[in-house]
Amino acid sequence: MILSVRDLKVSFRTDDGVVRAIDGVSFDLAEGEILGVVGESGSGKTVSLLAVMGLITDPNAVIEGSIRYKGRELVGLPASELRLLRGNEIAMIFQDPMTALTPVYTIGWQIAEQIRAHQRISKAAAMKRVEELLAEVNFPNPHEAMSRYPHQLSGGMRQRAVIAMALSCSPALLVADEPTTALDVTVQAGILDLVRKLRATHNSAVVFITHDMGVVSELADRVMVMYAGRIVERGSRQDLFADSLHPYTRALLGSIPPLTGDKPHRLPAIPGSPPSLLRLPKGCAFAPRCPVRYEPCDLGKPVLGDGSHAAACFRTAQP
Amino acid sequence: MRARMQGTDQPILETRALGKRFSIGTRFSSEGRRVVHAVDNVSLTVQRGETLGLVGESGCGKSTLARCLVRLYDITEGQLLFEGEDITGKSLAGLRPFRRRLQMVFQDPSASLNPRRRVGDLVAEPLRVHGKLGAKAIRERVVELFDLVGLLPDHVVRYPHEFSGGQRQRVGIARAIALNPDLVVLDEPVSALDVSVQAQIVNLLADLQEKLKLTYVFIAHDLSVVRQVSNRIAVMYLGSIVEEGPSEEVFSAPAHPYSQALISAVPVVETTPSGRRKRIILSGDVPSPLNPPAGCRFHPRCPVAQERCARERPTLVEHKAGRKVACHFPTI
Repeated sequence: MILSVRDLKVSFRTDDGVVRAIDGVSFDLAEGEILGVVGESGSGKTVSLLAVMGLITDPNAVIEGSIRYKGRELVGLPASELRLLRGNEIAMIFQDPMTALTPVYTIGWQIAEQIRAHQRISKAAAMKRVEELLAEVNFPNPHEAMSRYPHQLSGGMRQRAVIAMALSCSPALLVADEPTTALDVTVQAGILDLVRKLRATHNSAVVFITHDMGVVSELADRVMVMYAGRIVERGSRQDLFADSLHPYTRALLGSIPPLTGDKPHRLPAIPGSPPSLLRLPKGCAFAPRCPVRYEPCDLGKPVLGDGSHAAACFRTAQP
Repeated sequence: MRARMQGTDQPILETRALGKRFSIGTRFSSEGRRVVHAVDNVSLTVQRGETLGLVGESGCGKSTLARCLVRLYDITEGQLLFEGEDITGKSLAGLRPFRRRLQMVFQDPSASLNPRRRVGDLVAEPLRVHGKLGAKAIRERVVELFDLVGLLPDHVVRYPHEFSGGQRQRVGIARAIALNPDLVVLDEPVSALDVSVQAQIVNLLADLQEKLKLTYVFIAHDLSVVRQVSNRIAVMYLGSIVEEGPSEEVFSAPAHPYSQALISAVPVVETTPSGRRKRIILSGDVPSPLNPPAGCRFHPRCPVAQERCARERPTLVEHKAGRKVACHFPTI
């Protein structure tokens, strides 16, 4: 296992009380595997991966549990040691490429800086490597692109530049947080292709965070569905989409209008909206919106079963 | 009223070669004053009671067109007709009777609702501006509207921030239908919402359409949502319509290479691995509307472009009833 997360809990102390953003998340990631993390805003998908990256620096945050990267514990690791891993062995791509690029330097300069922060190579050699990387992420004219500033590139090109930067040190683990959400579908298709290609050529493990079930079903080997800070279902892509167990997963899949075939007269909608993390129900967080809720759901929190395909639900029997 | 008596074939809304230019920059900026042709030569008709879906990627001009349709923007070329009456150049005062019947719902309900006013006041505002109703009648109408969009009567005293995204969009919809409009232009009404909430709003819009006999122009980049709500579809690319037709036909057999690529690029949940569709990946990005390519505007990215496409710009041609394509080599 390249990454093993066990019982991860992240809370934030706020004026309104303690918010538990992540409540006991555990998962494993194998080499060369693409794990899709699906959830709505506030489900904790981003926070859990920021914790893995050691990027939660808020003094009011409390992180508990264990995050092991290649067997090494990351929780509590000094910032200086985390820095050696980040950008080198572990890379991250964010939703908005503009926040990952500085507007005042050229693309080439920024990627070369990243390479030279982790490898002892000359400036000229780094620049040559940048050109190769830009070609690898399908820049039509990589040499010319190196001298461009971020604002001179389109959104899709910026995201490619960020991906080139993430790849510069052939990371063993790539974390991508909604990397295509801000992009158009035709551009998104190219980026998803790129992620597949990278896994094939670099054998990187990828954690891909998204709210789009379609994207997950096209890309991921395994899928984790999150709701209100917990994993509600986990399984292979096949298990999850063909044979989903959790009522939330089922409802979410059911509420997406089909692109082909018969149109339903009305969409099977999920009532209500995701709960506030400050006022979580005592029992299952999805219970107030759940079509198959019964008494036990309001009494305690269901536990995610073991096994490759499992759901945290009192109703659905563990397979 | 006059227009309504002219028979049922009269489209409720019609654009004739409608265009919108923006000038950007000043004489003193390095590139001088430049003109963006955001919407170019758009001729559309919207029939009473139908939903016309308008799709396209960011920057294609769909939101600009939406704002032209409700005259939030002044139209720079062509004509806009509401029930046969030309409202292209009408003054603000002259537009007032039309505004009541032509409403709009915006994408981000937290940006389109004044955070310092109670939502009841926000929904009452159009009634006060346009109406002849007294204070008590307005209060009753607001409660009735809240009920229509699925909010509770005691919600009227709350502020927008006290609501979830889905509820805020319900407020935005209540405001748009307050004056019993005939046509509502919806600009990305569900794209700012959580996935689990989108279906609720899509259903609500369908219910309201049936109950209030509304006509919709529905703009979204999410193709499956557009397919769900629309009778007809118009696909836009760089300011112009490239394909138009009945929703089912356009989705099952798109005729323009751009529509084909767009529809094939949508990631869909496939439960059978064999069911994966063939994907057309376009090279390059959408060109800047400041400097559109010559000939067909899609030709630099088009997988089937030929020499003629670089020279000659195709016009939107009707190939069969209601099915229009702007392409020299359409697959129809």
